[in-house]
Amino acid sequence: MDTLADFRHTMESCNHCGQCKVVLGPKTKGYDFAEICPIHMQFHFDAYSGQGLLHIAQELLDGVFEPEPALRDLVYACTTCGACDTNCKSIRDMEVMDTILALREHLVEGGHGPMPQHAQMAARVERTHNIYGRPHAERAAWAEGASATSAPVAYFAGCAASYQRTDIARNTLRILAAAGIECTVLGADEHCCGGPLWRTGQRAAAERQVRHNLEALERRGVRTIVTSCAECFGTLRGFYPRVAEFPFEVRHISEVVQQALDAGRLKLSRPVEATVTWHDPCQLGRLSEPYVPWNGEIRAFGEHVPPKAFRRGTEGVYDAPRRVLGAIRGVKVVEMVRNEENALCCGGGGGVQQAFPEQARTTAAERVREARSTGADTLASACPFCQDTLEAGLADGGGLRYRDFTELVVSALEP
Amino acid sequence: MSLAREVYAELERVVGTRYISDRPWILAAVRAPQPNTPMKPPSPEAVLLPGSAEEIQQIVRICNRHGIRYIATISSLIGFAYPSGPGTIILHLKRMNRLVEVNAQDRYAVIEPGVRQGQLRIELMRHGLSYPVAAVGPGGSVLANFACSSGDSHCQYGASRTNRYLLGIEWVTPEGELLRLGSLASEAGWFNPEGPGPSLRGVIKGFVGQWGGMGVVTRIAIGLDAWRGPAVLPYEGRSPSYQLRLDPRLHQAYVFKFPTLEQCRDAMIAIGEAEIAQAVLKYFNASAALLATESANDFWDLWRSGLFQRELARPLYVYLSAFTPEEFAYEERVLLDIIAQFGGEVVDERILRIYRDNMDFYVLVGALQRVLRLGGGWAPAKLSGDSIGHMIDVGKAVPEFMRPFIEQGRVLDALDNWQVIPLEYGHAAHIELLFLYDRGQANWGQVPMDFMRASMQADIRNGHHGTMPPRTAAAGAAIGALFSNAHVWAGRVKDALDPERVSNPF
Amino acid sequence: MRASLTGGYAARGVAYTAHPMGNGGFNNPLEPASACADPALLRAFATDASGASGQVPAQLLYPRSREDVQAIVREAIRTRTPLVPVSSGPPHFHGDTVPARGGVVVDFSRMNRVLRIDRPSRSVRVEPGVTYGALIPQLRAQGLRLSLPLLPRANKSVVASRLEREPVTTPKYQYDELDPLLTLEVVYGTGEDFRTGSACGPGTLETLKADLVNPWGPGSIDYFRLLSAAQGTMGLVSWAVTKLEILPTRQQLLFLHADDPARLLQPIDVLLRRRVPDECVVLNRAALAMLLAADDLRDYAALRAALPAWSALLVVAGYERRAEERVALYADQLRTLAGATGLAATASLPGAVGREAQILELLSGAWTQGPDWRLRLTGSSRELLFTAPLSRMPALQQRLRELAAQQGIDLADAACHLQPAVQGRSCHCEWVFPRSPDDAAAGARLDAFLREAARQLARAGAYFSRPYGEWARIAYDDYPGGVELLRRLKGVFDPHGLFNPGRLCF
Repeated sequence: MDTLADFRHTMESCNHCGQCKVVLGPKTKGYDFAEICPIHMQFHFDAYSGQGLLHIAQELLDGVFEPEPALRDLVYACTTCGACDTNCKSIRDMEVMDTILALREHLVEGGHGPMPQHAQMAARVERTHNIYGRPHAERAAWAEGASATSAPVAYFAGCAASYQRTDIARNTLRILAAAGIECTVLGADEHCCGGPLWRTGQRAAAERQVRHNLEALERRGVRTIVTSCAECFGTLRGFYPRVAEFPFEVRHISEVVQQALDAGRLKLSRPVEATVTWHDPCQLGRLSEPYVPWNGEIRAFGEHVPPKAFRRGTEGVYDAPRRVLGAIRGVKVVEMVRNEENALCCGGGGGVQQAFPEQARTTAAERVREARSTGADTLASACPFCQDTLEAGLADGGGLRYRDFTELVVSALEP
Repeated sequence: MSLAREVYAELERVVGTRYISDRPWILAAVRAPQPNTPMKPPSPEAVLLPGSAEEIQQIVRICNRHGIRYIATISSLIGFAYPSGPGTIILHLKRMNRLVEVNAQDRYAVIEPGVRQGQLRIELMRHGLSYPVAAVGPGGSVLANFACSSGDSHCQYGASRTNRYLLGIEWVTPEGELLRLGSLASEAGWFNPEGPGPSLRGVIKGFVGQWGGMGVVTRIAIGLDAWRGPAVLPYEGRSPSYQLRLDPRLHQAYVFKFPTLEQCRDAMIAIGEAEIAQAVLKYFNASAALLATESANDFWDLWRSGLFQRELARPLYVYLSAFTPEEFAYEERVLLDIIAQFGGEVVDERILRIYRDNMDFYVLVGALQRVLRLGGGWAPAKLSGDSIGHMIDVGKAVPEFMRPFIEQGRVLDALDNWQVIPLEYGHAAHIELLFLYDRGQANWGQVPMDFMRASMQADIRNGHHGTMPPRTAAAGAAIGALFSNAHVWAGRVKDALDPERVSNPF
Repeated sequence: MRASLTGGYAARGVAYTAHPMGNGGFNNPLEPASACADPALLRAFATDASGASGQVPAQLLYPRSREDVQAIVREAIRTRTPLVPVSSGPPHFHGDTVPARGGVVVDFSRMNRVLRIDRPSRSVRVEPGVTYGALIPQLRAQGLRLSLPLLPRANKSVVASRLEREPVTTPKYQYDELDPLLTLEVVYGTGEDFRTGSACGPGTLETLKADLVNPWGPGSIDYFRLLSAAQGTMGLVSWAVTKLEILPTRQQLLFLHADDPARLLQPIDVLLRRRVPDECVVLNRAALAMLLAADDLRDYAALRAALPAWSALLVVAGYERRAEERVALYADQLRTLAGATGLAATASLPGAVGREAQILELLSGAWTQGPDWRLRLTGSSRELLFTAPLSRMPALQQRLRELAAQQGIDLADAACHLQPAVQGRSCHCEWVFPRSPDDAAAGARLDAFLREAARQLARAGAYFSRPYGEWARIAYDDYPGGVELLRRLKGVFDPHGLFNPGRLCF
């Protein structure tokens, strides 16, 4: 039930309450930092919002107008951060994010999308199984011969950690080893998770990656997948069950560390002097709950039969990274206003970093402004794509640096 | 009728290319019908995003010159925020979103249209200040609620409706003059909205605002009260389940039930005479169930249990909020005296816990939009105000005309889904009736019209001031004489101030 | 562009005739006993206690009903005769009852029925001829009271007082500048009648069951605001509803005093934010001495010398439930909060020890010791009235004192009443200057001083929201946009320009 027409109930239910554009009431801290939709903040027209995209989807479906490049640009300006979706679901039973993704798929199927940069990315994935077009054979080069045997726990590195931010991958293995967790590295068996393809509406291409990865995981006897990339995490939980049966447990490295700390299997004994503010990646936070397929019926007065498990962002991975960082001696964790389920997107998600880098930079600058307002000297997160975007926002200096979660944890381990 | 290219170009020169569009996908975002009606509003010709009152002046003058209709809006949450006819441009005032001034000493704040309820309410608490926050959700425009729309709040019993708190006004008149009203007119600041002499503020807002039909209000000051709560609200939880508990020595929520509406009414009046409490109201019971649940399915489980129908048919919600523990204790003693005198009892613990665990209902109403959850078919009827007694009488007359709609399956069986909120310690009260209807039924679009007609007929039959006079010309011609020909006077004022009839005329 | 105060204005499609000169031939449409042609009485209207002078009216009519009023208006339309409404008995202080252009005085004093006292809705409906002197005892007998201006004269019309936006001594009950005025019935200059707010309908007064206590609207216009401080230029009111409060069963009077009003206004601001006092009045020594002195004023000078420079009179009250607890609670809060600002609240006032009961009595009723307390010293006075935020009052007082010193005006006997209003978000200031009726030169000096004082105070942020006499120039000379709109509205409600021409900007 993922085609655009399946979301008519959502499209027809919007009351224009504005919640998709502003921080939830209980999360609001004052006049500043009260907006949540990155594109609405920049472009101001209602079209640039969850509300707007719902109505655009409806008119497209009804044939009121035909797609044009300018429309495509608007639809792909959305970072698919899901803030509109989470906020709407705080009060309604609507599927805003899924409608936006279905809208992108609708444009792609009709030959009106994606953005050229996304199509080029898809071609690279088709060729080399990674978004960068780097040789597939080099995917696990970072592992330097680390375990490639079968094991119930597999580390899914993802494209970014495999090719661009290999320190993240190495750090993760080091952490797992320190926690006494034996895991396997998928190596050449690992293809792109498919997330960047899914979120840019290239569903068929995404599904091909999914099916490959599922087959590999089954073949390797994996039961639990550990990842340190938020994009992969959110995709494994949120997309894979839409494609096929998904019997795997997916854990983020922060959850693994927290569990190991609680069980006494890991000690963070080296101090790290830092005031850290945590940026919740969208795919690790509000969009990370497991997707539960639903093929029911919406009856009178919105009753879903059978009941539907809505992903409302409640059970995102919010606590684990904070508790872990807080357990490091010398680390003080301070919060941004827009945090947890109402974290502001870094600005680069949904293919925006590739297609509209200036737009991404503007959002990132706003997020950096917010991070600076906390008095922190470190902006930490667990998404290499957020890292790309936020580091661009930090480029003007100002005493704040970005550090990945795994880097901070490794810094606290005994050498 | 599309905008002539030269007119579009004139408007574009005012706001800049970036802030005007007539592309269909830009218009799509603002022309979808509200879910409670199948009637599509007229599509606007263009959407503009002016950045200042001066830009708005220029736009309004262009509109007057060329006969282009215009309406200013922020969120378009209600049906009246849409163009009333074709050939209208929408002025989205979201770029004008400055909190211009917070004057804690003289107790007012100056805001632009884009300032939202959530951000202002929370910001002012940090200054120890408060204002009547409308039950519209955090995304609603404060200025629109004060100056263009309605403005009832859950805590208006101990304060008042927004009408009382609207102070100085900066206004682009329907012909494009920039006018300052009240003490601003004499450069004496924002504190006084009236005069000099007869108060022009009277044409900005009556019981409700002009909904875009009398120029554009570009800046207002709102009066502020002292805030009895903490500077930072201690919300706990995560979406969608938040809790807000305040210091029980100073703040507490109560829900009582009464054997008869008369006893409930008399208790409400007595509490007002005693001048205690910050919120006193009879709330909607179906809406209460919607606010208390996190999905439509959860609502249906609760609603089918019958708990809210049994316990909240004749309820009295009370919120005590005091400056000192001694004041709180005194008010609680008086409250319990009154409840006992009029035969009230505490409701089922499960309901009481809802309001004690989450006082958001009295503080921010951050999840208000849940009342819209059931799929979109809802409408308010009986939007008016008079005495507590009269409003309760209006409510008592609801079943008579509503029951046939329920029996025919046209609306949700919720006869007690109406609220009466007193204001100014019981000097008057507001009533609202929410009826819910399913979009899946045949001829569903006919339901709100039939229902509101039946409601109005009941008011006329019973001599009840249950709703406002009719707004449209046709309805005015039919029954306007029953309302002192208010539609005629409104039309004359409109003709005098908007002679070109371009300010979103009805 | 400066507004012309002498010319009429014809906006497109709307016009009013600026100055009907009357073509003679006005025939009394009422029974003969309703007219008065006593030359002395007619001459008395050509001037008033403010020194205003105008024309002797041709007739004096006493309507007894709305229908009478409509008949008068229709005849005035036919003959283009100005109409000047009067509701209170003399002395008049504002010049608004002096016909600027002749015509007919419409005296409402015989429309003096108390139409309905209703405790549950805490409201009273009265005709314009009902005075404070007549109404206060009737209400007291039922355990009710009005919010009162400071010592209104006994023959002052309650309706006129509310329409004039006279400040009341109980700011906690006042939610905006028009409070406690509620609904009203008006005859417009077209001869049509209209009912405001929830009185509009549906139906007639006989069939409508509302209690008529919602002042707003109907619909999108606050018609009552357009009649407020209009000096009878926008309509003739035939009845009005105003709020009632519960008569306290216990009261405690407390005092603060200081040499400088700023020292008093600071704790008063805190007290009003916390809604502690009922009556809250600030008087200088001359004002208080004027109020307390014996009938023959033999003790006036001694009082004036002994009293503090400035005194705040504060009353905490208990009503019908736990009255003594309430008094104790708020008296304690008053002492504590005032004490925190460095002032001690006392049960008696230096210079007036033992006069506490007399002061309480004065605060609860009308002035009965002569025509008006403002005329006590010399039989003649001039006044200066304006509003400002509490925080600005000290600077304005200082400016006035400096100017008086420069111009050699002795302020020793000038009475000043500072009335915090609108729950402390505003403050009225009234200066009363005794005037020697036999010393023309001194009178001229005083008049010149007051003209200059008004100008300077306006520049310093005083707001003349009730622009009587020459203050209209201050209000309207630099407000051409507002003047234009007011004249257009005048063209709607009084298209023939019959109502009190020559006032305000008409």
